[in-house]
Amino acid sequence: MVEYRLDCLGEACPVPLLKTQKKMAELQVGDILVVEVDHSCAMKNVPEWARKEGYNVEIEETGDGEWDIYIEKTK
Amino acid sequence: MKLENNKYFKAVVKEAWPYTVGAVLLALLNISLFIVTGSAWGISGTLLNWGAKLYQAVGGQLQNWFYYSDPARLRALETPFFSHGGSLMNLGIIVGAFLASLAASQFKIRKIKSVRQVIAAIVGGLLMGYGTRVAFGCNIGAFFSGVASFSLHGWIYGIFIFVGAWIGSKLLVKYFM
Repeated sequence: MVEYRLDCLGEACPVPLLKTQKKMAELQVGDILVVEVDHSCAMKNVPEWARKEGYNVEIEETGDGEWDIYIEKTK
Repeated sequence: MKLENNKYFKAVVKEAWPYTVGAVLLALLNISLFIVTGSAWGISGTLLNWGAKLYQAVGGQLQNWFYYSDPARLRALETPFFSHGGSLMNLGIIVGAFLASLAASQFKIRKIKSVRQVIAAIVGGLLMGYGTRVAFGCNIGAFFSGVASFSLHGWIYGIFIFVGAWIGSKLLVKYFM
């Protein structure tokens, strides 16, 4: 199990989602990707996509207008 | 209990509202606006007037502009800022969004990531601004208000905005990822 970080700070939609999709494809099952975002709609569409894929998702607010999205590749 | 853990505070102030709530509110507000002012909601025409006022303030001349040869448009431009409904509404959007992000403790001035991002923002802004004038409105004035008033142009606008977004996303993946 490896944890990767993806820096999407300063990126507007839909760039964080596209980058997340690309990165998730490279991960092995069991790996975790932490996506750092500061665009509130990325905080909505990235978890939405990941849950639809069946991955485990958790969101942590790390500062004013900043979030870490934890996505576990479950399959 | 801390305010930020209160479930009502979370649902109303902190988290994004469901799309359906937003849609119903937008529809009700647009109807109210139409009853009060007699015209449907629009944004980009006013933004152009703000730009034109700025241009005039630094000595720019507008009398030769085709766009302002229309007397109604010229009248909108000459209306003082605080007597112009469109200007007040746009100001309301900016102030309202600012207050909402402060209330949710989500206000942040984002860092500029690259020169490419700056160029994309300027080129994108200019194209959108130009597009709104040749299409007689943006996604609010032409699409949202067009569809709400049962006008065919709103639907045509809607179809082509999807085509544009599809091409735009292909370009985005190719040049910005």
